Amino acid sequence: MQLDHRIPSGPLTEKWDRFRFETNLINPANKRKFEIIVVGAGLAGASASATLGELGYNVKTFCIQDSPRRGHSIAAQGGINAAKNYQNDGDSIWRLFYDTIKGGDFRAREANVYRLAQISNQIIDQCVAQGVPFAREYGGLLANRSFGGAQVSRTFYARGQTGQQLLLGAYSAMMRQVKAGKVTLHPRSEMMDLVVINGQARGIVTRNLITGAIESHAADAVVLATGGYGNAYYLSTNAMASNVTATWRAYKRGAAFANPCFVQIHPTCIPVHGTYQSKLTLMSESLRNDGRVWVPTRIGDKRPPAEIPEPERDYYLEQKYPSFGNLVPRDVASRNAKEKCDQSKGVGDTGLAVYLDFADAINRLGEAAIRQKYGNLFDMYEKITGQDPVKEPMTIYPAVHYTMGGLWVDYHLMSTVPGLFVLGEANFSDHGANRLGASALMQGLADGYFVLPATISSHFSESAMVPITTSHPAFTEAIDTTKGRIQRLLSINGKRTPDDFHRELGLLLWDHCGMARNEAGLKLALGRLPELKENFWYDLKVTGSGADLNQTLERAGRVADFIEFAEVMILDALSRQESCGCHFREESQTAEHEAKRMDDTYSHVSAWQYQGEGQTPQLHKEPLVFENIQLSQRSYK
Amino acid sequence: MTIIHLTLKIWRQTGPESKGSFKTYESGPITTAMSFLEMLDVLNERLILNGEEPVAFDHDCREGICGMCGSVINGTPHGPEKKTTLCQLHMRHFKDGDTLVIEPFRSRAFKLVKDLIVDRSAFDAIIAEGGYVSVNTGGTPDANAIPIPTFMAEQALDAAECIGCGACVAACPNASAMLFVGAKISHLALLPQGQPERSKRALAMVKKMDELGFGNCGNEKYCEKSCPKGISISNIARLNREFMRAAFCSEE
Amino acid sequence: MSWIIKVFRSSIGKKYIMAASGVCLSFFLLAHLIGNSVSFWGKEAYNSYASHLHSLGFIIYILEILLLLLFLIHIVTGITLFIENLSARPTRYAIQTKERNWSASTMPYSGILILLFLLVHLLNFHFITKTVSTAELVKTTLSNPLIASFYLLSLSGLTLHASHGFWSLFQSLGINHPKYNIFLQRGGRAMAVLIGMTFILIPLLIVTTDSFLQ
Repeated sequence: MQLDHRIPSGPLTEKWDRFRFETNLINPANKRKFEIIVVGAGLAGASASATLGELGYNVKTFCIQDSPRRGHSIAAQGGINAAKNYQNDGDSIWRLFYDTIKGGDFRAREANVYRLAQISNQIIDQCVAQGVPFAREYGGLLANRSFGGAQVSRTFYARGQTGQQLLLGAYSAMMRQVKAGKVTLHPRSEMMDLVVINGQARGIVTRNLITGAIESHAADAVVLATGGYGNAYYLSTNAMASNVTATWRAYKRGAAFANPCFVQIHPTCIPVHGTYQSKLTLMSESLRNDGRVWVPTRIGDKRPPAEIPEPERDYYLEQKYPSFGNLVPRDVASRNAKEKCDQSKGVGDTGLAVYLDFADAINRLGEAAIRQKYGNLFDMYEKITGQDPVKEPMTIYPAVHYTMGGLWVDYHLMSTVPGLFVLGEANFSDHGANRLGASALMQGLADGYFVLPATISSHFSESAMVPITTSHPAFTEAIDTTKGRIQRLLSINGKRTPDDFHRELGLLLWDHCGMARNEAGLKLALGRLPELKENFWYDLKVTGSGADLNQTLERAGRVADFIEFAEVMILDALSRQESCGCHFREESQTAEHEAKRMDDTYSHVSAWQYQGEGQTPQLHKEPLVFENIQLSQRSYK
Repeated sequence: MTIIHLTLKIWRQTGPESKGSFKTYESGPITTAMSFLEMLDVLNERLILNGEEPVAFDHDCREGICGMCGSVINGTPHGPEKKTTLCQLHMRHFKDGDTLVIEPFRSRAFKLVKDLIVDRSAFDAIIAEGGYVSVNTGGTPDANAIPIPTFMAEQALDAAECIGCGACVAACPNASAMLFVGAKISHLALLPQGQPERSKRALAMVKKMDELGFGNCGNEKYCEKSCPKGISISNIARLNREFMRAAFCSEE
Repeated sequence: MSWIIKVFRSSIGKKYIMAASGVCLSFFLLAHLIGNSVSFWGKEAYNSYASHLHSLGFIIYILEILLLLLFLIHIVTGITLFIENLSARPTRYAIQTKERNWSASTMPYSGILILLFLLVHLLNFHFITKTVSTAELVKTTLSNPLIASFYLLSLSGLTLHASHGFWSLFQSLGINHPKYNIFLQRGGRAMAVLIGMTFILIPLLIVTTDSFLQ
């Protein structure tokens, strides 16, 4: 397999312009002859569908939810970054680019990230024009706030529901194309397989989640915008239905999976409180602007927080990282919380939590000002825990949040399967080994509104497109495989539920492939996967039939894929023996317990290629070349 | 941690055309830190192991923002807590021995799919009629080109917070969708970007709403009380104004 | 002109009809109340008011037709809305919420009660060959305990109807402002109670006091 990143030549700042100029365009009259399938209707999928429809392509958009307005982008709270420099605090495209590369611990492509920073400004313009009600100053201009990993205020926000407002913007733009007849919606449809014909992605097989019907759809290109795989850990901040199935099926049809071990653990989540727990809830990172993180200095101090006097509190982030303080990047904050809890300084019933305290900010700015800023987050916290963060400090703990890894894509966002494009969290492209806060929304919308619509035309104009219908044998084969698999899941009739297996897998991954990893643990987890998989296919219980709405069956299919996927994730974590960003290999740390990169050996993207059932996937490396910035050990001190 | 036991009367219906009925289940031990949906998860795990079909219910984000969950608990959509979605309703609000009657959202415009799941695509159909600003990607002016007073942006956001869950329709004695439509119309009518299509939007969205078989607003305020995002009925008044302006004063 | 029909056929258009006819009917109610209140000044004053009213001739005739039209519009539209609303939820809930908004949820029923009352009221005082003075007619008719209690019941229904209706008509016409909402809501309710109670006072006084209108 050849990993050709197809980055345009020339100076970094001119690459994107050069690409757009040099790419072949498609005559507007011809665009309507092309069919494009978009899977997923979050920020990336909805914005891509809308824009492709506007350009004249015929788009079919699929999502598993009952409405395309519900993709999990909706849950993003804090904001979206852009290099507008409206605050005149020294921001620039170059700085956003630099912060993102540095935040990602130098494991992302310069060209992609620079393009992202360039496009960031257009995104804000686009969203405002759509009527997204961003927060504003009294003069009527847009407000910004600061976020982890940056020393400028460049984050645009709409209270604590920026993701929702941006998604509703993209969704409404897409609904406009639905009305115009350019986009056809297929809600409650799950992609079960990718159809590759003559080496090109030419369609998908879906399951209608209401009728159970297995349907096939042919197209000239397939776009996956199906989000990340964080739910492999069972407990994560992802939505319940978020899954790896679409990207995993694509992987099995030839698309390489890049950096699967890069999983971001978000530092500010509500701690776990029971075995029945179904998901973890994130409290926006923006809380760290005004909240101070601390634990008691004394081991095993179980006094209520109010009774612990100031000298006996360890504000460990502020002490350790004086220049960034509580605003260090997510991976650093998460790891430090784990470290404190490992030292038995954790708080709460389980000892797996640290305090996030607003008392100082309330004294300084007043309760009203703090409530105005974080009111809905405080309400959310109180709803879940029954405690008021104004009266006592929040307890928080890291949780799996975002996956930087994903299907490998080139500069055009095309995977190793020609005609298969991957957007948003589903691809690996822009965040390296760690994503900065408020960058996921930026990337999803950059990919969907601006990048894909420009790059897809070069695919259409450069490749020979043979007319294909769903009667092609490749579709029949994919349908048969899908049906066979569903039948198999239904016929096991064992004694354990899909969730039960999912929980077991999640715990295995969290323990050995979570915030800190080492060779022994990873090998142990890898060794236990075959048994787990075997048990799953022997002892699973799925009730009902495949011929109607069956949520247990849906879950079983997703868990089966997570189990298979876990192998690649662990293999990737094993093979990358350096620490970088979120990937902390205990073997590779500095004297101060910070992540230690090994740029000579690991400055590359790891892309895994499927080799067939039961075979170890093959690792391909795409070297990362840094021409414009100096690699440095990240320091937030 | 407190443990409670509940009796659950849940509406079971295999499909849109079949006849449904209530079925009674004992919840088993439930810890009060659980969310309502986690309580249903526990029930479902038990049903699966007993070889019974679990209760089908819609849910996704479980943090109160996606708008996918929602059932009627003892006559109230999303249950007894104000401004709370079902997924964010925690069991500490119930007492040991309580009986909970769990029904799907009921409305002619929301067809029942299975058990507690209904089809809310009518909302998407209404949005498709004009719940947007018709701008193509690219070529938009600088985001700061038009200043917007804070209170206006805030009011627009108050309306735009709607998560499209359908609780307003479920709560309304007339199954009216006026709060949903009012929220979207208000969001865009309050912003300068929404002005060019203001009249067209109001007429088209109301027309679609009527066609889809929602009932008429009786100003009874049940919608506002059930709305998990606290969307105010002042948005319905604004819709009434917008429609009047569009119907009698515009050239649309 | 088809646009007008379209507007008034829409759900919101029908609410405009209800609200606008509601406004007019409220004014009628107020006028009727002022007229009735003359009875508190005694039999002579009341009879003189009645004969002045009847001497208006064709003006009163036109007003009566307009009033009839208003009632018809309000009733027909109300019944249409009622039927539409019933069919918007073919399957009812097994459990009704405990937090009922009584005046609002009984609007169709209090409306029907008022309609019945209207018929009885017209039969009592309008479609009748008058042989005695208006005051005597009122006194004798309402001395019948059955009729009097029906009046009390219906006028309570009217109070209930108006206590939601007065505020509701503002909301339907889009009049809603954070600074004035409290006045509209509380004022509407107070107004309804004031009007309703004053109307009720007449049958109540007739039943309880011999000297009233004597």
